[in-house]
Amino acid sequence: MVAKREDARVAAAKIDARRLFNTALLYLTVAVVSLIIVFPVYWMMISTFQPSKYILRFPPPLLPQELYFAQFAELFSEHPIAKWLRNSFLIAAMTMLLCMALSVLGAFALSNLRWPGRNLFGLFLLVTQMLPEVLILIPLYILYRRLNMLNSIPSLALIDAAFILPICIWILKGVFDNVPPEVLDASVVDGCTELGALWRIVLPLSAPGLAAVAVVAFFFAWNEYLYAGIMLSSGEFMPASVGLSTLKAIAQTPVEQYMAAGLVFSVLPVLFYLVMQKYIVSGLTAGAVKG
Amino acid sequence: MSEHVEADALTGPPRGVKARPLLRRRYLLPFALVLPIVIYEGLLIVYPIVQGIFGSFTRIELASSAATTWVGWDNYERMFSDPAFWKVIRVTLLFTGLVIVVALTVGLLTALLFNRPFRFRPFARGMLMMPWAIPEVPVVMIFIWILSPQFGVVNILARMLPGVTKNPQWLQVPELAMGWMVLISSWKAFPFYSLVILAALQAIPQELYESARVDGANRLQLFWNITFPGIGSTLELLVVLAAIFSFKQFTIIFLMTGGGPSGTTETIVIRIFNTAFRFYDYSYATALGVAGFVVSLAVALVFIMMQVRRAEDSA
Repeated sequence: MVAKREDARVAAAKIDARRLFNTALLYLTVAVVSLIIVFPVYWMMISTFQPSKYILRFPPPLLPQELYFAQFAELFSEHPIAKWLRNSFLIAAMTMLLCMALSVLGAFALSNLRWPGRNLFGLFLLVTQMLPEVLILIPLYILYRRLNMLNSIPSLALIDAAFILPICIWILKGVFDNVPPEVLDASVVDGCTELGALWRIVLPLSAPGLAAVAVVAFFFAWNEYLYAGIMLSSGEFMPASVGLSTLKAIAQTPVEQYMAAGLVFSVLPVLFYLVMQKYIVSGLTAGAVKG
Repeated sequence: MSEHVEADALTGPPRGVKARPLLRRRYLLPFALVLPIVIYEGLLIVYPIVQGIFGSFTRIELASSAATTWVGWDNYERMFSDPAFWKVIRVTLLFTGLVIVVALTVGLLTALLFNRPFRFRPFARGMLMMPWAIPEVPVVMIFIWILSPQFGVVNILARMLPGVTKNPQWLQVPELAMGWMVLISSWKAFPFYSLVILAALQAIPQELYESARVDGANRLQLFWNITFPGIGSTLELLVVLAAIFSFKQFTIIFLMTGGGPSGTTETIVIRIFNTAFRFYDYSYATALGVAGFVVSLAVALVFIMMQVRRAEDSA
């Protein structure tokens, strides 16, 4: 009797030990994988927040030795980074407004209205979203040159909006699809026009989707490098993505300033992308996958 | 009556319901809504493409005011007989293929890992998405610094390998440069694939696993017979998307190697850029652009066909 109870206890302990081992293994794997993934970001932080005398030695210490914050002031006083950020902000804001206005129209037509050519319109958007930007760069550059539209912030915003608009429409379509058709029917029975229904019913119900479109459009233009570099060659209009790429680490710019610049530029997109990831994924896969 | 028709027009998307014949006037609104978008995308995307196709048959002189002249197939003859073009194609295929394999494998493995329940999982998932959320230019800055031959932190790892006594010139050796371009592009891209695969994993009904376990299936069998079929169509879709995204990759390669050393990381998008804006050979660059356009259109069509098939399956 006693021996039997003892056996059961040993068996239970064995199972417990195995479960503990599995759990430990799981946590260890998660920790190692996360470390590898996040290490480059960690290294950016480390290199930003300590004086470069610690980081400019080999091998560099893997843990921070001293905290240091003067690099931000130095960065802003030694480089026109405030102007770059302001230019980026202007381009991004214009792109965002244009995209929001147009994507509401497109998504409403694609999601809530039925008309011949609707599928064709969806495909048209899908294809324009998939072409490499560089393919259109040369003809567009020649066109802009002829029309004297180079070196102008609104002209660049026009291009950025054209590239991101299809994704924005797909995001909003997915959101509009969730508006129950009965609600729309009811409003139309009550004498509302379609546009009235869009304004009074669909849009208020789709606030998070609109926010997602704003975020996607804004930060697409904020991050965009290729067109900004070619279309805004004059220093006056240079946005931060292009400006940062002109900084040379160590040789001209101290490492802690160089990495601080990267950090300043990344904070906003990282925050907003992480919040809106679900919508962005559904837009990028044209609604095939809801993240 | 008219209210009835309006209601009908608003009930889309159609879910297997036959559309009642609508009044012609009903189509006015959708066309009016869509027209500005079609014109806008037409002017800034379609028109330049048509111009590009046209331009690839001409000699374009931007610097002088000389008129563009029609040269027929000259640019294409030059392209197909140019060994450098075929090298660019090989590099593009190698880069795209490797990024698809690496990014999707890592994406799948992390998705399987992060699909298991553990504490701090939301936090860990946020970390996982980090590389995807950081803009490309700062990514380039981080890796330029990490790969610095003098002080780069990655050299600590390299020095642990037997036989490595000096810090390698990471971006000067062809194989290493290509390897890093693939790794960095995959690091940037895999969280997106991981997130999509996670969503597919969570859509697999748990009861399937439970009943299979009752029948005595082991883990490997569970994976091959339930998990893999469950996410199969998502993986297919992601292969095509990954092909599109990595084919488009410009900023990371351009800013880190510019296509070098000696063209070993020069994919077609880099080549197009260099031809136009370094060598000012716009006509030849547009011909290369048309070649790239044909390839990406083909891949996009594959994606669309898969989409249509999925839509039919779910309908």
